[in-house]
Amino acid sequence: MSGSSSPSGFRNPVGLKSPVGFRDRAGFRGLTGFPGFLVKRLLQAVVVLFLVSVIVFVLLHLLPGGPARAILGPKGTPQQIEHFNHQQGYDRSLPTQYAMYLKRLLTGDLGESFKLNSPVLDLLKQRLPKTLLLTVLSTALAVVVAVPLGLLQAVRRGKASDYALTGLAFLMYATPVFFLGLIMIMLFAQVMPIFPAEAPQGETVGELLGDVTGLVLPVVTMAFGIIAMFSRYMRSAVLDNLTEEYVRTAMAKGQSSRRIMVRHVLRNALIPLATLLGLYLPTLFSGALIVESMFNYPGMGLLFWNAAQGSDFPVLLGVTLVVGVATVVGSLLTDVLYAVLDPRIRSVA
Amino acid sequence: MTEPLLTIDGLRVDIASRERTVHALDGVCLTLAPGEALGIVGESGCGKTMTALSVLGLLPPGGEITGGRVLFDGRDLAAAPAPVLQDVRGDAIGMVFQDPLTSLNPTMTIGAQVAEPLLLHRPDIGRKEAWARAEEMLRLVGMAHPAERMKAYPHQLSGGMRQRVAIAMALVCEPKLLIADEPTTALDVTTQHQILELVDDLRSRLGMAMILVTHDLGVIAHRVDRVAVMYAGKVAEESDVRDLFARPRHRYTEALLAALPERAAASGTELHTIPGLPPNLAARPTGCRFAPRCTFATEECRAEEPPLADDEVRGAEHRFACFHPVPDEAASQDEVVVPPAVPPAAAPGGVLLELDALVKEFPLKGGPFSRGRGTVSAVGGVSLTIREGETYGMVGESGCGKTTLGRIVAGLEAPTAGAVRFGGADPSRMPRAERRAHRRRVQLMFQDSTAAMDPRMRVGEILREPLVIQGVGGRAEQEALVAELLDAVGLPRGAVHRYPHEFSGGQRQRLGLARALTLSPDLVVADEPVSALDVSVQAQILNLMRQLQRERGLTYLFISHDLAVVRHLADTVGVMYLGKLVESGPAAQVYAHPLHPYTRGLLDTVNLPDPQAASGTQPAPLEGETPSAARPPSGCRFRTRCPLAQEVCATAEPPVTTPNGPAHQVACHFPLAAPRLASAV
Repeated sequence: MSGSSSPSGFRNPVGLKSPVGFRDRAGFRGLTGFPGFLVKRLLQAVVVLFLVSVIVFVLLHLLPGGPARAILGPKGTPQQIEHFNHQQGYDRSLPTQYAMYLKRLLTGDLGESFKLNSPVLDLLKQRLPKTLLLTVLSTALAVVVAVPLGLLQAVRRGKASDYALTGLAFLMYATPVFFLGLIMIMLFAQVMPIFPAEAPQGETVGELLGDVTGLVLPVVTMAFGIIAMFSRYMRSAVLDNLTEEYVRTAMAKGQSSRRIMVRHVLRNALIPLATLLGLYLPTLFSGALIVESMFNYPGMGLLFWNAAQGSDFPVLLGVTLVVGVATVVGSLLTDVLYAVLDPRIRSVA
Repeated sequence: MTEPLLTIDGLRVDIASRERTVHALDGVCLTLAPGEALGIVGESGCGKTMTALSVLGLLPPGGEITGGRVLFDGRDLAAAPAPVLQDVRGDAIGMVFQDPLTSLNPTMTIGAQVAEPLLLHRPDIGRKEAWARAEEMLRLVGMAHPAERMKAYPHQLSGGMRQRVAIAMALVCEPKLLIADEPTTALDVTTQHQILELVDDLRSRLGMAMILVTHDLGVIAHRVDRVAVMYAGKVAEESDVRDLFARPRHRYTEALLAALPERAAASGTELHTIPGLPPNLAARPTGCRFAPRCTFATEECRAEEPPLADDEVRGAEHRFACFHPVPDEAASQDEVVVPPAVPPAAAPGGVLLELDALVKEFPLKGGPFSRGRGTVSAVGGVSLTIREGETYGMVGESGCGKTTLGRIVAGLEAPTAGAVRFGGADPSRMPRAERRAHRRRVQLMFQDSTAAMDPRMRVGEILREPLVIQGVGGRAEQEALVAELLDAVGLPRGAVHRYPHEFSGGQRQRLGLARALTLSPDLVVADEPVSALDVSVQAQILNLMRQLQRERGLTYLFISHDLAVVRHLADTVGVMYLGKLVESGPAAQVYAHPLHPYTRGLLDTVNLPDPQAASGTQPAPLEGETPSAARPPSGCRFRTRCPLAQEVCATAEPPVTTPNGPAHQVACHFPLAAPRLASAV
């Protein structure tokens, strides 16, 4: 067997009992490797995004009354409406409209906001980083808290601390974000005025970061639910891994329980969490919507909220597209994380 | 006598679960001298693994040492605190586990895992040197390209290679004692042999002692100095290995040896069985624990526990716990009632099943952006005939295609090419309705009946289901048939109200057989039906299969990796290697005078449960590993491992010849010479 072949070159399916497993194993031979896999996933992502744009476009245009009625209000005359529709191209057939929309989209033109009188792209450029900041900060906080918490619970399984943390996690998980936000504001902005109840109103991310205290409440509020969920997953993943035989092997080598956790179990237990993280990304974006509107955080969620109330279609369309991208990026991220954590996936891909 | 390296003294272990506490070990006493190899043998649940695990304090959750001592190098490990145990583990005592697939960390490189014990126990050794030593260790356990393999992950290695890694890990600190818990049970016969040879070799090189835990009496017979036979949490007998096999004293040891298919006087006799099941260890049984299953038990046995007493001749060298031991002077065979010879099955009738150049290829799946991947050749052109009323034993290692072949015969897979003719007709060409009706003529029996039965269905429903599907009779009729079947397989009729998980392994195999027989099939395809069973239970099932064959005129296609079992049961034997039928013929002839080098190698690999027998210790009869079925070697598929291979083997597929009588076929360019007398038989 030559050393130059891919790592899968010396795979030998002997020892696998079932013919099905045999087939699956052998099926991995001679693949194009991880870069090829990424290219494949990116192409899939483009297809998904195209479908997202179609669905969003069709749905929005099927709304009763249409944008003209929404913009011009109930007092708009039929002439005004017709003029508006003609101006916006809304009197043409849907496929034509979509073709126009797509053409503009490919040149980076997402249209103009009806209400804010500025290009949607500019609005997104301005708002998206702020939402990303909020999402990334709260997710990072959640992972940093939830991973050790899950480990701790697994180690102390069946003990009082495990039950207490489990109870707390369910409470957090069951509490709606808006309710939790209200409690946070009440406790930490009013009863004990440590943090401001309103998020900083900077124009750029840098300005937001300049006022860190203002970020605390939105970030923590958003993180709570994620912590609750992630720690549950972490706990069961660690418990699953603790019964694996490789843990017993590590013990037979003389490793201490603590080092077995860190060296052996942690990485294996993070694999299911990686899936969760990627799939959870779009949910986080929508979670941001509520948090942003509660704390008046100038992010994309707030933009969407205001646009939805004002039937600002181009903005809604733009934001929805961004959430679609987030979904696709999230699942891509899952695959990459998977491959980083699990060598089996790496050589499969 | 030298100071023992390890002394286990009155060891008691309890395993507590939510429902009950099992007294897994109850006063186990064993000693081990430096450099000595001790085998611990027994059936599942006897406590052999628990004994091994408790030496290192690695008991499963809920397990606790409740009494006794484990003295190792002057320290009592049973009472030692965690840091002391961690010091000993992996350094002075190395351990190898059964399943090399799950006992390695899937996300760590081989190198990191092998070097780990060194970094833990040798603070003076730096990372670089530990790495170098790990690589050296991999070379020592026979890994090709060790430097490359250091960077590989476990999933990239074959089962045998993984077990070599596990051994390297256990030995990298050069321990004084190696504990191996069923180290070869999950491996193929030829790989098993290679691993055992390796362990033997390393043991003599490093001068370590070993505890080998196994259920396999054949493995024990050749690899250890002394043997302890365990039963129900106690040591029943302990002796020098030769003495134990030649003169077993405990009635359990005697019965266990008699149940081996290798020990059956001839393939025409029934196997000895041990009636009943081991006792429930949740309650401590009074008296001798084997008494309820022992034919020699008296009142004394049931009331009092026999002590571990010295043998009259060998003294403390051979000890056993039995009030009515096998008499010393008599050879054990005289004592045992010779089992009734089975009346020979009706002479095989006409041809029932014919396979004609059967091919099965599985496509290798690839994504939309990858090029074609080719196929896995699971069955590469197999032709054979099975006659009515015979047992056709199909032997081969994992991945040889024997299971796929069975599935095709049962109609669960469609062949890629070639034909299956059942009673002259090809089921795949039958019209739908006819094919459906045909299905009842071939039924399957599986290795794992637990997995093959719906856990939420009661036994009555499970057995009735085939009748319902085929629309046989009314409900009352079906129920009567089920009751009759339960009688036939030796299960109580009340079983219909219970769920599969309420039965023991042997009972579930009986259920599996009953289900296969509900539709009164002509052919039963039995895929490794006894591989998961203990020896004594295996004997029961084999006897039952034989008895039912006689009563019902059944034909079996018996698929197994176990040469001894096949030899016992089969009339005709086929040997498969990498999708090809390399040899077939009457069982007695094939076993006595194999024509194909692979068959020869397989037979030489088998560990006969007899320390005197030469076989099993020959230096590696089959080298290397089976190549991938996705890229089978050209010409003869066996040539890459064949000691006789020449150029023609790579270019031409060997023709089927019959140098040893018309029934005995072989596909080889250079068949082994058949002795003259064989043709006279």
